[in-house]
Amino acid sequence: MRNCSIAVQRYLPHEHAEPFWQHFTVPFDESTSILDALNYIKEELDPSLSFRWSCRMAICGSCGVMVNGIPKLGCKDFLRNYLPRNYLASESTAAVSAAEIRIQPLAHFTVERDLIVDMNEFLVHLEAVKPYLITDAGADETPLEKHAQTLAQTNKQTPAQLAKYKQFANCINCGLCYSACPQFGLNPEFVGPAAIALAQRYNLDSRDQGKAARMPVLNGHNGVWSCTFVGFCSDVCPKHVDPAAAVNQGKVESAKSMLIQMFTGRG
Amino acid sequence: MSYKPELTGSWWLKHRFFMLYMLREATVLPLVFLLCSLLAGIYSLASPEQFASWQAFMARPWVLALHGLALVAALYHAFTFFQLFPRVMPIRIGARLLPPALMVAVQWAAVLAVIVLFLWLFGNSQGAI
Repeated sequence: MRNCSIAVQRYLPHEHAEPFWQHFTVPFDESTSILDALNYIKEELDPSLSFRWSCRMAICGSCGVMVNGIPKLGCKDFLRNYLPRNYLASESTAAVSAAEIRIQPLAHFTVERDLIVDMNEFLVHLEAVKPYLITDAGADETPLEKHAQTLAQTNKQTPAQLAKYKQFANCINCGLCYSACPQFGLNPEFVGPAAIALAQRYNLDSRDQGKAARMPVLNGHNGVWSCTFVGFCSDVCPKHVDPAAAVNQGKVESAKSMLIQMFTGRG
Repeated sequence: MSYKPELTGSWWLKHRFFMLYMLREATVLPLVFLLCSLLAGIYSLASPEQFASWQAFMARPWVLALHGLALVAALYHAFTFFQLFPRVMPIRIGARLLPPALMVAVQWAAVLAVIVLFLWLFGNSQGAI
């Protein structure tokens, strides 16, 4: 196994007022992920290092960190990506100093300790767009009848209807897109890529009737119009959701909604 | 206790992706100059002397260079816009999505058609003069 240099930005508020860099040497091979390296550091070198992780297979979305300044899922990104291509194969050890991999907490979020950020800043925006199916079916019926009707309706969807929103439904709420978004960095009140992508996902769902409830958030000052289509959110998305497309499709919907409101008084 | 790193004014210099984004946004600058030049041209129609001085202004090398830059900027902006368009307004025919490459090609074909139309109009007006 070869060794590689990793620098981790630490923040231990009870010991140091400011964040600082700590350097480690980590053995790795072709299959060592950033998360594996962090686990090695915690288990073998410094047990005080804190970071979030769970599934190790890009599903839970908890191991997001900045690697060399780019938001990445620790479990889906590999050390080999940051070293010269022939490094593992070559006999020479000279390349060991080729690059030090720098790991930081996700950008644009408040850091609580080491690589742990306060995800609540994202979750507040997520909650605001009501990311769940809203149906107004059976408003006059009893709760039991309404429930039965909802159940009966829920599964009715054609492949064409599913195709309209399926891509946006792949979001795992990892928050990488928020760290990639300079608009969110400049204005934390911006609803942001993932939340708007999920609003769009439910707005496009044939089973949903909650669009009118979501549009005020998307039409607002911190809604879709705060996006200037930098597009880096889509570049870093580990699930290829393309949130930038969702946000800008949201602009089309927002413009339509505002025009309808202008002429009919209804959103 | 916690800390929040501030986003500095130089954020866009930290990644090539952001620099290309700023370049895309900056294409508006030479285009504003072009629009101001054309606006001045409309006002100069008030008298033959003003129109002659506007024509002299338009023929200056630095003005021509800036207008050349505006053309390059407009083409670059069009390139980025055409790439983004299929993502913002995906067109579905039944269950099938129209291929993004086709939508980009159609937009460039439209640009070509407009160029040909203007060359034809320009050629005809030259003939009339």
